[in-house]
Amino acid sequence: MNGNGKKKKIGVFVCHCGVNIAGVVDVERVAKELEGYEGVEFSTNYVYMCSEPGQKMILDEIKEKELDSIIIAACSPTLHEKTFQNVAELAGLNPYQIEIANIREQNSWVHADKERATKKAIKIVKSMVEKVLQNENLEPIQVGVSRRALVIGGGISGIQAALDIADHGYEVLLVEKNPSIGGHMIQLSETFPTLDCSQCIMTPKMVEASRHPKIKILTYHEVDSISGFVGNFKAKIRKKPRYVDADACTLCGDCEEVCPQVVPDEFNMGLSFRKAIYLPFPQAVPGTYTLDIENCLGLLPIRCGKCKDVCDVNAIDYDEEEEIFEEEVGAVVVATGYDLYTMDHLGEYGGEKYEDVVNGLEFERILSASGPTGGVVRRPSDGKIPKNVVFIQCCGSRDTEHHNPYCSKICCMYTAKHAMLYKHRVPDGNATVFYIDVRTGGKAFEEFYQRTIEEDSVLYMRGKVSKVYKEGDKLIVLGVDTLTGQKVEMEADMVVLAMSMVKTEGIEELLKKLKIATDANGWLAEAHPKLRPVESLNAGFFLAGCAHGPKDIPETVSQASAAAAKVGDLFAQDVLYHAPTIVPVIEELCSGCGICVTMCPYGARELDPIRKVVKVNEVLCEGCGACAAACPSGAAQQRNQTDNQIFSMVKAILKG
Amino acid sequence: MRLHYYPGCTLKDKTTNLDDSTREAMKILGYELVEPEGWTCCGAEFPLTEEKIVGLTAPTRILRQVELEGGDKVVTTCAFCFNVLKRTNEALHRDPLKRKRINAYLKDDIKIEPLSKKKTTDFPEYSGHVWVLHLMEFIRNTVGYDHVRSLIKRDLKGLKVAPYYGCRLLRPAEEVGIDMPDNPHIFEEFLENLGCQVVDFPFKQECCGSYLSASLPNAATEASYQVLRSAKLNGADMLALSCPLCYYNLDRRQDRIQEKYLDFNGFPVLFFTQLLAWALGAEEKILGLDQHYYDPRPALGITDKAEVVS
Repeated sequence: MNGNGKKKKIGVFVCHCGVNIAGVVDVERVAKELEGYEGVEFSTNYVYMCSEPGQKMILDEIKEKELDSIIIAACSPTLHEKTFQNVAELAGLNPYQIEIANIREQNSWVHADKERATKKAIKIVKSMVEKVLQNENLEPIQVGVSRRALVIGGGISGIQAALDIADHGYEVLLVEKNPSIGGHMIQLSETFPTLDCSQCIMTPKMVEASRHPKIKILTYHEVDSISGFVGNFKAKIRKKPRYVDADACTLCGDCEEVCPQVVPDEFNMGLSFRKAIYLPFPQAVPGTYTLDIENCLGLLPIRCGKCKDVCDVNAIDYDEEEEIFEEEVGAVVVATGYDLYTMDHLGEYGGEKYEDVVNGLEFERILSASGPTGGVVRRPSDGKIPKNVVFIQCCGSRDTEHHNPYCSKICCMYTAKHAMLYKHRVPDGNATVFYIDVRTGGKAFEEFYQRTIEEDSVLYMRGKVSKVYKEGDKLIVLGVDTLTGQKVEMEADMVVLAMSMVKTEGIEELLKKLKIATDANGWLAEAHPKLRPVESLNAGFFLAGCAHGPKDIPETVSQASAAAAKVGDLFAQDVLYHAPTIVPVIEELCSGCGICVTMCPYGARELDPIRKVVKVNEVLCEGCGACAAACPSGAAQQRNQTDNQIFSMVKAILKG
Repeated sequence: MRLHYYPGCTLKDKTTNLDDSTREAMKILGYELVEPEGWTCCGAEFPLTEEKIVGLTAPTRILRQVELEGGDKVVTTCAFCFNVLKRTNEALHRDPLKRKRINAYLKDDIKIEPLSKKKTTDFPEYSGHVWVLHLMEFIRNTVGYDHVRSLIKRDLKGLKVAPYYGCRLLRPAEEVGIDMPDNPHIFEEFLENLGCQVVDFPFKQECCGSYLSASLPNAATEASYQVLRSAKLNGADMLALSCPLCYYNLDRRQDRIQEKYLDFNGFPVLFFTQLLAWALGAEEKILGLDQHYYDPRPALGITDKAEVVS
């Protein structure tokens, strides 16, 4: 019966899906069996229901037979439910009167026995008839959109996404945990395959972001948690005390001069030193000093206080405290970047033991004109110019047994670049690269790699290095040349390890709060690996850059722009629609036990402490049904999936 | 305190100095070493084929005997024996089916008393619960370095010792698990507590040549030479090790190394238990130092003059 007490007229449409279904299931028999089943007004079959003629047939039959509901016995609802709901809407039906009976994935694809598969198909369709008989007309839940975006991470991906969203005309909050935006890209020397100076192409972007009227940059801030739902998130942001007023600081540098505390400089990968009050690098945005409290002698002016004494503009405030504030945003771009696999994982290469064994980022700093050696290639231990440099690729990558199974993608190219730049700086030096394969899939990448070999005479040796050890002031590299099968032993002044890229340390804490899934390696999982590569499965979250997996700068920028475009799509809507198949509470039945509150993975339910009934936030409810299954009193009933419906469906399946 | 101790065959033949020094040191530390009755060779190599049940029966039998005698752990000093026993135990732990099959073979084991000719058969199953320990682990975990230090009689201060792990003590790491394979420190800790000055050298986990000394002697000679050379180059006075085969390659075959490498003129190699026993005040003759190809006595500061124990 439908809502008006009138008997429902149901149409059943059985799809052949070519031979996908019809090859195993006798579709004609299914359609025939359903004829005359209680409530079924009309039943037919057709070769492709999703095709234009198929859809037209459904449309015509609904109008002609005045059907109230239809059942499509076909593939999984994830594929064509929307298609058929649209058809039904065209015919004037409520889209929630359409049900899909999955007789492909759950039947024909997994069975071979035609007779039994056909019987199963009939049962599946009949159970759907029972469900549809009790389906109600539902209207989608409407919610507004807060047209502000939150971008987490201020590297190149975050900056690009922020700039694009801002250019669409929407406000952006760009949150970066470090004192300056810029990420890893600002640390690089030159970029492959064009050898652009990385800082020269990065700093204009940083400045543009800082000047953009629609972008608010929050450096030295971290996202604590995000609650709410697509279009209506509430982000809790934690402001770490910088102890320096960014607006007042004139970058005179007096404080740095008097600061007595010297610590390794993160920007230079520990190859040089900075003070406890420091400017991360000259082009830092925002251009302000930051007091690193971990290394400061203490904020008591009695203990030190030298920096405060010399600051003419009184920018230093020891009393600044951590602050947590809330911002409303409609969409979130997660661009949290990557870390390098630490060298202690490969003890045989001695990265932790020998100063002259460095990782790729350290070598970038050594090559960089703004680096600790001013762009002259000098080795860290004694500052000598190395005449023999060995580069080892795939350090921690492509090693399922011991390290990371994936390819870090950029190392082949940056190693070629490292070797080339080294040869440019030290023309009489020797560069040797140990590799497993050289992967140069990218525009102008292969040409660049060939240039490294042909014009810059870099020696490529196919094979792995088994050990690096020190003898005197030389490093000895033991390896194998797998093309000749010979053991290789060579002296090196410096060894550069192309360490694998890994997820940012500690990122899982944040991702757990954002409910963003990761893959087996900790990279952010996209909604669909091919068709929805920049969206998270959690609506309203978009992915950009290396947080999603290793990628180079062009690819990162493309993905950031794509994520920004997706945010634009979202913000272009007047209202957002939320599926109405949620689980409300029948207050008369609710005992206020609160079991469903603990079951809900989306935080959509809460107990009203006074009335002792559970309240549901409809837009947060994703209709998973966990609460409905757990509710001991039957007060939680999912719309169009009530207990009564499920029992009827079970009965239909068990009957004959 | 009674402690089950599996010496292994080499210790009864080629390297009695390892056996003797172990017994002496443990006696001083207060342990009575008990050998499982009727022990046999462990097999020396852990079988690498999945189905080679036969190769696991000998070590299982040894472990079963320990269990039958009421022991919950067995200590070894030979790196090979340790490797085989430990990995066998791990395999039996991980794979109950394998344990069942091996026990089925061993059930019909027959033991005949030499005098009374009494036959014992129908042996109980081995549970897989005997703890296989290397002596170095046992000293660290159970004896305790404090106890060792309190009993030290000879000052080894200034003795520059390079600890040599070889392969069997460390790998495969997930089965043997004595320490991190790339950055081990148990041997270093042990030596430091004896008062030695530890010399780190890059070849401490490299292969000594192992059984290649039988089939490809040149390769083994080269491998051994690299190890000794590196230890010397890094300033060591001597090399300490725990494996009879390493000892064979690194000490007993120094004649071959000297023949092939003219710059090599010998290097003292000692078992870690010899150093332990020496530090604990054992008499020189117990250590079997005369068995070594390269006389380690000068490196230990032993001269022909009578030595005074403090």
